[in-house]
Amino acid sequence: MIGQRQTLLDARDRVTGRIPYTINLEPPGTLHVAILRSTVPHARLVRVDASAASQLPGVAAVLTRDDFAGSSIRPLFGPVFRDQPIVAMDRVRYVGEPVAAVAATDLRAAEAALESIEVEYEELPAVFTPQDALAAGAPLLHESFDDRAPGYADIVLQGQGGNVCNKFQLRKGDGLAGFELADEIFEHEFSSPPVQHVSMEPHAAVASFEGDYLTVHTCTQTPYAVRDALAYMFRLPASHVRVVVPPVGGGFGGKTYAKVEPLAAVLSKMTHRPVKVHLTREEEFVTNRKHQAFIKLRTGMRRDGTIVAREVQALFNAGAYTDISPRLIKNGGYGAVGPYRISHVHIDSYAVFTNLPSAGAFRGYGVSQGSWAYESQMDMIAEAMGFDPIELRMRNLLLEGDTFATGETLHGIRFPEVLRDATTLFEAGRVPPPAEDDGSVKRGRGCAVIIKSTITPSTSAASVKLNSDGSLQVLTSTVDMGQGAHTALSQIAASALGVGVGSIGVVGPDTDVTPFDLTTSSSRSTAAMGAAVREAVFDVRRQLLDLAAQQMEVDVTDLELADGRISVVGDPASGRSIAEVVTASRRGTLAGNGSFVTEGGLHPETGQGIASEHWHQGAVAAEVDVDVATGKVTVRGLRASVYAGTVVNPINARMQIDGSVSFGISQALFEQLIHDEGHPANSSLSEYALAGLADLPEVFEVSLIEDPDNDEMHGLGETCLPPVMPAIANAVADAVGVRIRHLPLTAERVLDALEEQR
Amino acid sequence: MSDGSEIFLLNLRVNGRAHRVPVSADDTLLDVLRRDLRFFSCRETCGLGLCGSCTVVVDGRAVSACLAPAFTQDGCEVRTAEGLEDTDDLHPVQQAFVDEQAFQCSFCTPGFLMSTVAMLEEDGPADVESALTGHLCRCGSYRQIMAAVGKVAGDGRDGTGE
Repeated sequence: MIGQRQTLLDARDRVTGRIPYTINLEPPGTLHVAILRSTVPHARLVRVDASAASQLPGVAAVLTRDDFAGSSIRPLFGPVFRDQPIVAMDRVRYVGEPVAAVAATDLRAAEAALESIEVEYEELPAVFTPQDALAAGAPLLHESFDDRAPGYADIVLQGQGGNVCNKFQLRKGDGLAGFELADEIFEHEFSSPPVQHVSMEPHAAVASFEGDYLTVHTCTQTPYAVRDALAYMFRLPASHVRVVVPPVGGGFGGKTYAKVEPLAAVLSKMTHRPVKVHLTREEEFVTNRKHQAFIKLRTGMRRDGTIVAREVQALFNAGAYTDISPRLIKNGGYGAVGPYRISHVHIDSYAVFTNLPSAGAFRGYGVSQGSWAYESQMDMIAEAMGFDPIELRMRNLLLEGDTFATGETLHGIRFPEVLRDATTLFEAGRVPPPAEDDGSVKRGRGCAVIIKSTITPSTSAASVKLNSDGSLQVLTSTVDMGQGAHTALSQIAASALGVGVGSIGVVGPDTDVTPFDLTTSSSRSTAAMGAAVREAVFDVRRQLLDLAAQQMEVDVTDLELADGRISVVGDPASGRSIAEVVTASRRGTLAGNGSFVTEGGLHPETGQGIASEHWHQGAVAAEVDVDVATGKVTVRGLRASVYAGTVVNPINARMQIDGSVSFGISQALFEQLIHDEGHPANSSLSEYALAGLADLPEVFEVSLIEDPDNDEMHGLGETCLPPVMPAIANAVADAVGVRIRHLPLTAERVLDALEEQR
Repeated sequence: MSDGSEIFLLNLRVNGRAHRVPVSADDTLLDVLRRDLRFFSCRETCGLGLCGSCTVVVDGRAVSACLAPAFTQDGCEVRTAEGLEDTDDLHPVQQAFVDEQAFQCSFCTPGFLMSTVAMLEEDGPADVESALTGHLCRCGSYRQIMAAVGKVAGDGRDGTGE
């Protein structure tokens, strides 16, 4: 039931290792795929010759651009612009881009055949940073932007040209003129590097064409988006494409929208066999990533500590293809205002193409980059103006009924409470003092608070089937990827029907069976799909009570449903079970439907409108030790606080925050994708540093702030990630007086800053 | 130098049952377990022996299956997560992971389980943190994992956080 700790429905399968991930699937006759990838960052593709490779033993097909000549298959895909080729067509745009793919009876044969594919490149000048890509005379990655995919009404396309993929802008109040009201103006630039999701399970898909029907099993977070992309690609009705999503081994945004599914499907079409694509870890690093960002932040302050004006100039590195960048820079753009009441706001946020792998959705979705800037700067302002950093925030935090930068009125706002809660970490004695007492280790404290939207407009639909034995199936396209979504939905369904969780079964994403859902991302599933499931159960419950009223020959308003029994109010003895009522009805099953639909959108020039149906609110306080001899930062204590609304499954809710903090510490101290002239330099877990068990703080507190007066459920998958990085940087600055504006805070970078300070 | 095409007949026991598998010189134990014998609890994440997700117990020791050449495993006794449970009951380590909800996506779980089993059953209770520090859990379920392992190792750790 809602609010009770619930063991995951499939916990036993998870500890016996029998849980059926996509990578386990191998229907009889399956072909395995190896991918030849570009070795240069930008080139005209002169020649791809697969004639020798296709004759090798075990090879069933080699896909190159030549296979699309005269074919009805559309070779390009993408959720916003269809600009990404399945294999390179006229040119390659990043190191690692697929150029050809071999399907063979076993993986070794496929890999061996790659060596026989001849590729000739004519190299072109390349750009790797958004600044270089925007410079006059920069080589262009794309000439046209004409193949827009339908849907995603919230995405406004503007500003394209040169290497600008998309622009978002917002003007509130007097915009830049608002700075005239400021007594002091602070201007700084902050950057965060590209990082990778590193889901334990890599991208994988098994595609199988049977006649004009395509079935794909894949570990995507967006089954319907993948279905629609494949239907368009193969010119099939959507009813002929079936996407099934087994349990997913971690997503974190990296598995949104089509990724490896088109390649598997095309090869299956060519070979009439099931085709499996299963990426290596090295390939994962060039498949999707978090946007590198450079953010110039100008903040106008009144002498009393009021923020009056803010200007944001954000450059997001989109990489070679659009993916979902236009939405990300929008959310990252208005998100960079922060959870503060600011009268005059001017935002320009750009996604810029470069010759690097495409960036896409990543846990935190643009908010991490923005809050890294504004929460770092908040402490810089506090220090410069002589304010306590917590009190400076408190003075400016958004309150209930305030207007956000988008002009929308905010409700359910708890920022001061959330921040105050996080900073209780600093109460005396909570975090033990540094172990070393020789002066080499300095202790510091820092905090950060963030606001994050959820994807709006959006739709989730759910169906339920009430069986004649009284058990209930929930049919949902929400993907279970470790967040425990199916278990939470079963709790919501059980509570709505008034039965135990043991009666609930959950049927996961299968686009032939389960109703539409926009996406499992944006911390939306518990709230949005939960609402849809609840409505579907209420639908079936109404039918059940109507049937019971007929059977019992009483008025339906006289009936109540509790503990799986329907009885006349005040007469428990009159009751009959749900099973008895459904059985007596001779309907077999009762079917119920529910949906949750939100509306919104922002004006293209002013950014005014409705950005989000709900606002996530989170804060983090951190205490760190900095070793001034080595530069090493150790997080000793951390408290993460989030406005959680009604918590469905307390253990899973807390573990979502644990995961966010773990991600945040990792990005604060270690993670960065490095390139040498576009060539990935750390595409393995031996070179790409991640936080582990030993990096977690010994004092680690999570606070889920609930609201007893409101049964609204809030998604919790992301909210406490973005504040971790600035909270740690603020603590480092507090400890040793150096301000690092570029993530990550590696020991080397901290040491360099300390040396510079000396 | 082998070109990887020679075939050996590998004899090994997995979870108490005998198997004979033709393997080539460049096959790993991971290849044999997943591709040939379908023990899917053994999973590759890094392919470098660094993340722990392919950990199995070989002759009592925790081993990264992705690094172990298949032909060196001849005559070995291999245990995987599939073999831990009795007919009805989960192994105490598995049960502790369920009770403490020591996983989110659970891709890494069998590796943690097998290292824990090796530590407890073969080496005897040891420093839990040093035994598990080489395991990556990207979902960040570490506190619950430590609580589960602490429970079976008897060190009374609790992972309840707040």
